[in-house]
Amino acid sequence: MRVNSNLIPNILADLQHSQAAVNTALEEVSTGKRVTQPSDDPGASAAMVQNGIDAANNDQYTQNITTLQTMAQAASSALSSVVSSLTQAVGLGTEGANGTNSASNLQALASQVQGILNSVVSQANTYVNGTYLFGGTVTGTVPYAADPASPNGYTYSGNNNANSVAIGDHLNIQVSLPGSQVFSNPGNDVIGALSGLVTALKSGNSASIATATASVTSAVNYMGQQEGFYSNVQSQLNAQGTALQQDKVTLTTQATSLVGVDLATAATDLTQAETANSAALAAAAKVLPVSLLNYLSPPQ
Amino acid sequence: MSGLNTSLSIGVQSLEASEAALNATSNNIANANTPGYTREVAQFSENQENLIGGVVSGGGVSLDSIQSVRDQLLNLQIQQQNSLQGSADTQSSILQQIQNNFSSTGSDIGSALSAFSSSLAQLSANPSNGAVRQSVLSAGQNLANSFNNTAGGLMTAQSGADSQVTQTVAQINSITAKIAQLNAQLSPSVMAQQNGGTVQDQRDELVQQLSQLVGVSISQSSDGEVITTANGSPLVMGSHSFQMQTTKGTNGLQQVLDSNGNNITDAIQGGQLGGAIQTRDQIIPGFMNSLDTLASQFATAFNAAQAAGFDSSGNPGQAFFSIPSGTTGAAAGIKVALTSGSQIAVSSDGTAGSNGNVANLSAALTNALPSGLSASGAYSTLVYDVGNAASNANAQSSAVSQSLLQLTNQQGAVSGVNIDEETTNLIRYQTSYEAAARIVSTIEALTTATINMVS
Repeated sequence: MRVNSNLIPNILADLQHSQAAVNTALEEVSTGKRVTQPSDDPGASAAMVQNGIDAANNDQYTQNITTLQTMAQAASSALSSVVSSLTQAVGLGTEGANGTNSASNLQALASQVQGILNSVVSQANTYVNGTYLFGGTVTGTVPYAADPASPNGYTYSGNNNANSVAIGDHLNIQVSLPGSQVFSNPGNDVIGALSGLVTALKSGNSASIATATASVTSAVNYMGQQEGFYSNVQSQLNAQGTALQQDKVTLTTQATSLVGVDLATAATDLTQAETANSAALAAAAKVLPVSLLNYLSPPQ
Repeated sequence: MSGLNTSLSIGVQSLEASEAALNATSNNIANANTPGYTREVAQFSENQENLIGGVVSGGGVSLDSIQSVRDQLLNLQIQQQNSLQGSADTQSSILQQIQNNFSSTGSDIGSALSAFSSSLAQLSANPSNGAVRQSVLSAGQNLANSFNNTAGGLMTAQSGADSQVTQTVAQINSITAKIAQLNAQLSPSVMAQQNGGTVQDQRDELVQQLSQLVGVSISQSSDGEVITTANGSPLVMGSHSFQMQTTKGTNGLQQVLDSNGNNITDAIQGGQLGGAIQTRDQIIPGFMNSLDTLASQFATAFNAAQAAGFDSSGNPGQAFFSIPSGTTGAAAGIKVALTSGSQIAVSSDGTAGSNGNVANLSAALTNALPSGLSASGAYSTLVYDVGNAASNANAQSSAVSQSLLQLTNQQGAVSGVNIDEETTNLIRYQTSYEAAARIVSTIEALTTATINMVS
């Protein structure tokens, strides 16, 4: 049987194949990616769309947690400072209620409690990262402003709402309590209790001082419960932060297995492709110029 | 009784036969690299023997013909593979262009969706921060731009395929005209005698070129070769060629008409023309439709979420995206309608610090759209479809080129010029020419001797 003596199309096709293999291997080694365009692996490319979104969201949720932790810590330390102020006020009230104090002593106690009240109000007006923590969703206005017309001496400009912030896919966490719940709750009005104590001390009536002190005592307990909310928030944030870190690892692993290359394999592939390419070139160079004419003596 | 003259005439015939064979050999060597050339072989036969006085003596050699060696069946298979290859290569190159728009480059829709989604998560933690609101707005603008660019990429690819249709039709017309001219020279009588020779080589080569451009079907009639498109529209009948035309259709794309003015666009299969038409009229519109549906449904869902909240001034949220009415053109026309970050409907209670509506805005990205898939899910599906189409076209192209290479090898084995063989023939015919010349000179010497004998 006759064979095709025109090797050129075959040789060119072989050279193109081996050159394409070298190009692919080189690209894989230099980019670290197995998939650079959808046709390289349509399924992996499609899966990478969601992976990219999940990874970007994961980063942002982690940032959100950092922001929220700052705010929760600020709120928590504000509340613990309020608790110690209130405890101090209970001591002053108890002292005022024992019936042995002179009028001037009671006035002095009243002004001390007034100072405590001012400090509690300033904690209620805590301002972090450009927002008032205890204004509900009214974060741009000072929540508590002095108002003589108000029963407790202060007007609340916030509202009763609270923001829930995204810290995971479909996971929103309420990270703050409105001042109307923490400081001026109609059932447990902390500011009202303190200003009541000031009024009672100023009046000098031991019985009303004792009643007012009892309300401040119950305010201490109430404030302790509110603190519990924030420590609960912080532990939830920490737990979610850890979960996000694990998710991040999973996402990175997924991305690597979808589109990444194993460098050792890629390097081996590159060496193999180079060897094959050199062999193809060497074979072509050896075979192409040979014909019977090489072996015939030239005409005499 | 045979005489010296008989030997002389046999010697001369032998010289002529060797010359003709050397001629074929030199022509083979000369055309060793000519595309479509089929090797020629000198066909000899013995002459009628002479019977003189009861003695039989040989009548010498005569040259019957110079025969081209070709295999029509292989030619036919190569034509079919050429059509497949033309179609697959065209689709592959257009899809390669398209899929760049869907690669994860940072400016693709996937990256823009991801940036938009994370900017909304950031907004959730910082609802009243003006810079964060602005970054959501610009992430939304990037997303709209990505939709515009991707739609633009698809339209560019489509108009590229469209102009390829016009160019290919012009090439087809020029080739069919040449084939008709060559057919005129290949009348049946010529074919019977000389097996077509170089004219047939040229015509076959043109038919191969034609089959790369469009799928054809070939038959023989009394007028010569008949070439039609796959659906039967005539291109060449013997010495007549029929010109195809193109005209702009109602959809703004070039339609292919046969010589009678019938629209045969949808019936054309195979070859570069078939590949370009299929990509232009089916594959790209399919992608475009998915993209438009996604853009339209996503914008509608996001605008609905925006309407559920309040902007930083406490007014109900206005539409975030503006899209053309109707699904068609949504991806190309989607724009951000808001002009300021403060217009984003972040709040659920009307206060500037509320983030209550951000969850709704984010849900527009993750919840299922009317298509049944979320925005990212619908985009993933589109990426898969584009990648799969490109990958299939590449695979088809390399598979066809493999089988084409094998067929070409077989054809080369039958019809190709082998330099070694020609060199051997050269030596063979040189030797036989020298021997024939020796016969002539010997007879001449003998004749001289005979004449001298007489004188």
